[in-house]
Amino acid sequence: MWSTAYGLIALAVVAFVVLYAALHAPAFTSVNLADQLYSAKSRLESSLPSLPRTDKPAYFRVYSNIVRIEVANATAYGTSFPAELPLGYKLAAEGNNLLYEIYLDVESCKPVALQGGGAAVLYVVELRQSVDVLPWLAVYYADVNAAAYYGQLYGLYRAWGRPPAVGLDLGAPLSKAEWALVYNATSGSAVLYVAAPPSSPYIVVEDYPLAIPLACPR
Amino acid sequence: MIALRDILIFAGLMALAAAVVASLFPVREGVSPVPACSDCAFKLTGGYWIRQYGNYASLYLGTREAARYGWAYVDGGPLSAGEAAGCDPMYLWVLNGIAYVSCSGSNNPAFGREVGVLAPAAAVDISANPLGPGCAYTADVITNVMNGTMVTLYVYDAHGRLVYSSSGAAPTSFTFSVPAAGAYRMHVYAPPLLDSWYTLYAGVNVVPTKAVVYTGNNTQDLRPAISLKVFDLTGFWKKGYTSVVVYVDPGMRSFALSAPSNAFADFLLAWEDCPTCDPTYGAVYVDEAWRLTFTNHGPVLARVFSQGGYWHKVYADGNLIWAWNTQGPKQTTYNGADPSIDVRFVSPASVMNAEALFTKTCSWS
Repeated sequence: MWSTAYGLIALAVVAFVVLYAALHAPAFTSVNLADQLYSAKSRLESSLPSLPRTDKPAYFRVYSNIVRIEVANATAYGTSFPAELPLGYKLAAEGNNLLYEIYLDVESCKPVALQGGGAAVLYVVELRQSVDVLPWLAVYYADVNAAAYYGQLYGLYRAWGRPPAVGLDLGAPLSKAEWALVYNATSGSAVLYVAAPPSSPYIVVEDYPLAIPLACPR
Repeated sequence: MIALRDILIFAGLMALAAAVVASLFPVREGVSPVPACSDCAFKLTGGYWIRQYGNYASLYLGTREAARYGWAYVDGGPLSAGEAAGCDPMYLWVLNGIAYVSCSGSNNPAFGREVGVLAPAAAVDISANPLGPGCAYTADVITNVMNGTMVTLYVYDAHGRLVYSSSGAAPTSFTFSVPAAGAYRMHVYAPPLLDSWYTLYAGVNVVPTKAVVYTGNNTQDLRPAISLKVFDLTGFWKKGYTSVVVYVDPGMRSFALSAPSNAFADFLLAWEDCPTCDPTYGAVYVDEAWRLTFTNHGPVLARVFSQGGYWHKVYADGNLIWAWNTQGPKQTTYNGADPSIDVRFVSPASVMNAEALFTKTCSWS
């Protein structure tokens, strides 16, 4: 009888010690910022086609996870049809220990002559990012003739009965565009200059795996 | 004879001793050192505290240094050099070598700075409706601030007089009507999110054919290029005149008009039917005189005066309303529909046929 009592007391004491040690040892977990960044960007990438779009500056100014568009007339097969031009993005995604935000807005688009001869369209894009230390940034242009691309879009317009968006991936190959990211001390944002061939319908700014299509305003 | 009882007693005593030792160790004896890492999270129990030095922060367990980091932030704010903080339990996140300490475990630190995508903001979306009295403007104030923000809207006329003001909690919508044509300034004020000025332009756009618009007397003979003189009187009524006399021809003929009530815009149309008749100092631009007033119920065209030997026909919106010296309707008043009215004067001398399209426009910038 006594032995069982001692035994129970001893068990209680052992349990106390084990619990105490477990509670007082530092709990440790690793924080994987790279994974969080990747998953935040891939979540944005998958939500990109379904984001709300607006052509009103006020809505673009106030809301986040929104696309600024302009509805312009495109021509295919001698017919004019409306198409949405993506001109700006305000995207935000949060990881557990990460705030990923990217703001892209096409300020202007102008034809320029290249140094080596030949013509290009210069996109001037305002860029703000919450995480400057990127693995890398890549800029591509859609390597397809705009007329051919609008022909494909026209098919979508007929099928859907609503304006398709320029920048929809219709299998056009992407080629690396010449670009430069210029930081200016007198303004809070960086300006991304992209030179694309005049025949290309859109460019793609890629912060892997997030690929953002941008078009020229008309 | 070693009984189960002895084993239990011995185990109990051992456990007691271990408990005594264990109760001491988090204070002084570090048994599980804090791993050095650049990105990780800890829950630390015991006497952990952190001290900031000039170029690094040290995490201490009692008096023993457990780890070093680039800088220490406690509950969102950085520690100054020489400051220290500690609590039990202590939550510690290390991101990019910087230590973020929280005592509650709630404010999970985030890497990456706010660049304005999620920033509190308010903006105005303006739309205008030229139908109905005056120009009806709608200013939708939208905001992403959860509980809204107080916003006040002021509208001033061209002389700086307040014509409308209202306030409300955004998101909200203000609708107001500017009663008379002209330029207005709109101030939308919701500190600190919004402080913007807009220009509203309410007016009547005139598309003239063989016609010209004046805002004062004109007594020139401009035939045959100009057969219709349109006098915009809106500005005189806004200035407070009760009546005006408009001189229209080289013979100094005039029309006396008194102020309309509640008119958005007011015009006198003076037309000449013949390219060569009535030599200089004769009666020109007085063959048909009509007044066009944009009222609360739409544009109203009313006859003021007719004369001359030629026949005339006056069309409003394509309908023949008045015939002079010929068979036809004798309608001296025509009520048009917002926002536009088309007025056409026809005579046997077709070179003098004139037309003017008046469209109420409500714009902003």
